[in-house]
Amino acid sequence: MLSREPIRKPQALNLEALFYWPAAMLLGLVVAYPILRTTVLSFTQMSLHTAFQPEFTGAQNYLRLAFDSRFHNSLTITAAFTIISVALEFALGLCLALTVGTFIRGRGIIRSFLLAPWTLPTAIIAVLWAWIFNDQYGVLNVLLLKMSVIHTPIAWLAEPGSAMASIIIADVWKTTPFVFLVLLAGIQSVPRDLYEAIEMDGGGAWAKFRYVTWPFLLPFVFISLTFRIIQSFAIFDLVYVMTGGGPGGATETVSVYSYQTYMRYLDIGYGSAQVVAVVIILAVTAYVLYQLLLKRYARLF
Amino acid sequence: MLWTVVAILFVYSLRDTASREQAGLSILMEPDGTGVWRDLVAEFNSRYPGAPVRLIEGPPATNTREDLYSTSFLSGDASYDIVYCDSIWVAKFAVAGWLRDLSDRLSESDRADFLPVELQAGSYQNKLYRMPAFTDAGVLYYRKDLVEKPPETFEELFDLAATLKTEDRWGFLWQGKQYEGLVTVFLEILWGYGGEWIDTETREVKLDSPEAVQAVRFLRRTVGTVSPPAVTTYVEEDTRNIFQNGRAVFLRNWPYVWTLMQRSESPLKGNVGIAPMAHAPGQISAATLGGWGFGISSYSRDPERAWQFVEFITRPEQLRQVQQRQGRIPSRRSLIPPEMLPVLTSARMRPPIPEYAQASDILQRWLSAALTGSVSAERAVQEAARETSLLLTK
Repeated sequence: MLSREPIRKPQALNLEALFYWPAAMLLGLVVAYPILRTTVLSFTQMSLHTAFQPEFTGAQNYLRLAFDSRFHNSLTITAAFTIISVALEFALGLCLALTVGTFIRGRGIIRSFLLAPWTLPTAIIAVLWAWIFNDQYGVLNVLLLKMSVIHTPIAWLAEPGSAMASIIIADVWKTTPFVFLVLLAGIQSVPRDLYEAIEMDGGGAWAKFRYVTWPFLLPFVFISLTFRIIQSFAIFDLVYVMTGGGPGGATETVSVYSYQTYMRYLDIGYGSAQVVAVVIILAVTAYVLYQLLLKRYARLF
Repeated sequence: MLWTVVAILFVYSLRDTASREQAGLSILMEPDGTGVWRDLVAEFNSRYPGAPVRLIEGPPATNTREDLYSTSFLSGDASYDIVYCDSIWVAKFAVAGWLRDLSDRLSESDRADFLPVELQAGSYQNKLYRMPAFTDAGVLYYRKDLVEKPPETFEELFDLAATLKTEDRWGFLWQGKQYEGLVTVFLEILWGYGGEWIDTETREVKLDSPEAVQAVRFLRRTVGTVSPPAVTTYVEEDTRNIFQNGRAVFLRNWPYVWTLMQRSESPLKGNVGIAPMAHAPGQISAATLGGWGFGISSYSRDPERAWQFVEFITRPEQLRQVQQRQGRIPSRRSLIPPEMLPVLTSARMRPPIPEYAQASDILQRWLSAALTGSVSAERAVQEAARETSLLLTK
C-alpha cells in the first residue's frame, strides 16, 4: 500500500493547488472585491442627497453616462492621449531596444541610464515638466528664444493643443523606458543561430527583423502594449499636476473626472458607473490585443 | 516573501493606530512656511495639559486638502479631529454630517467681534459649524508711482492698463487658471456688472444674462492685450511674483499681498496702492469673500479637547501672531487694518450650497473654455447656466 503512494498523481496536484491559494486569496481581496463592490454601487444612488446610504436605482447611472457630454469629452481625450502616447512610446522603445540590443559592451550602463525616467515618481516628473513648459521661467521657452525659433514666449499649458502635447511629451519621456525594457528582454531571448541562418540564406537586416526578431517579439509586444494602454487610459497624476484638466477641460481624462465625481462631488454611485464603464472598455481592448498578437504568435509555432 | 510583507504591513498598521491613539488629537493644515502654526500648537500643548494636539502639514492646494478630509470622513475615520476649513466647504461638510454644531459654544463677545459675514459663511441653516479665523476678499493693487487715482470703472481699468503697459511690464494681472481662484475673480467682475450667479435663497441659476456675457467678454479682452496670454494658467503666486518684480501695473489678489509688499525687502515698498475692484458705470464694486476657520470633526473621540484648541487658536492674541508672521487678515473687527475694513465688510459670499464644488467646476470649465477662445462668451454662460440648473434641481 505504502509503496503505491508516490505514484498517485492527484495528491501531488492538490498540494500544488494548495500553494496557489494564498496568492489567489490575496488577489481576490485586493482585486475582485473592489471590482464587485464598485459594480454593485454603480447601480445605486449614493451621495450627499442619500446621506451616503446606497439606494438602488437600476441602470439610471448608466443612462446618465450616455447623456453626459463631459464624460464623452473625457473619453475622447483619454483615447486620443492613449493612442498617440502609446504609439510614440512603442516606436521609440522598439528603436532603442533594437539599437541597444546590438551592443555587447556597455549595455548595462546604457540600460540603467535609459531607465532613470521610469524609476522617478510620476507626480515629481509632472512638477518638473510643468516647470519646463512654464511660459515665464521655463527652460523650453528660453532655449527656443535663444535659437530664434520663436520670438515671444509661448504659454504651452494655456492652449488646448499644446497643453495636450506637453502632457504627451512628459508621458513619452517617462514611460518609453518601460517599453524599451520589455522589448529588450524579448530581443535578448531570440536564439542567435537563427540570425546566422538568415545570413547564410543571404538575408539582410530587414529580413532578420521581419522573419526572426518580430515573430519572437510578439508576446513582448503584447505585454508592453497591454500594460501601456491600460496605464495610459487611467492617466491621472501627470494631468492632475500639470494642467488639472484645463484649459477648459481640454485635458480632462476619464480618471480625473471620476476622481472629481467621487472625491469632490461625493457622488459615489455615479463615479462607480464611470469606473465600471472604463473597465469594460479596457477589457475589450485587452481581448482584441490578445487575439491580434498572442493568438497570432501561437499560430506561428 | 509575500506573507512576510503582509505580516509586516499588518503589524505596522496596528502600531500606527496605537501610536495615533497616544498622539491625541490632530489637525490637517497648509504647509507651515513661517512656522507660526507649529509654535501656536506647541504653546497650546504646554499651556493646557491634556491630550496633545498634533499638526499635520498637508499639501498647499486647498482642494487637495478638501479631498484628504473627504476621504478620511467618508470612511468614518477619526484621523482628523480639528478641521481647518475653507468657507466653501462648510455647506458640503455640514450636510454630510462631518462637522459638529458649534452654535452654543460661541460666546457673546466673540459673536460681536467676528465679522458678521464670516459667521454667516461658517454657518449652514443657521447653525454654526466653523469658528472664523481669517478673512479674505479680492482687492485691486496698483502702482502708486504710475497711477495717480485708481480706476473706478472697468473701462478705466482697461484703458489705464493699456496706456501704462510697456515692453517688459504688463497692464493687469489676475488668476485665470481653471480652478477656484478663477471663479472668485469672475464673480467680482460679474457682480461689478450687476449680474448674479446663483440665488442663494431660491437656488435659481441667474447666470444666463447680458451682464454675465459682458463679464466674460471683459476678462477675455484682457488676455494677450493688457494681460499676458498665459494669464489663463496663473494662480495667485504666479501673478504676485510678476507684480512684485515690478512687471505689472495692476494686480487682482488677496490681502496677504499687502503685507508682503510692506516688508523692507520688497522692491515695491511704498509704491503699491490698494483699491476695491472696478465696476461698471452705475454699479458698485464687489469683492469675493474667502475665509478660513476651525471646525470639529463629528468623528473626533475628544470633542471637548478639540473645542479647547479651537477656542484657544481663534483668540485675538493667537490670530495676531499669525497676522504678523503670515500676513493673513483675522476675521475679528478689532484686528483688521483700517485700510482693509471697507473692502472686507462689503465682501460677498459665494453661494453656500452643498453642491458648491460641482457648480464651481461647471463654471470654471466653461469660463476657461471661453477665455482660451474655444467657445463664445454667450455659449459659455448659457451652457454653464443650463448644467448648473440641472445640478440644482436634481
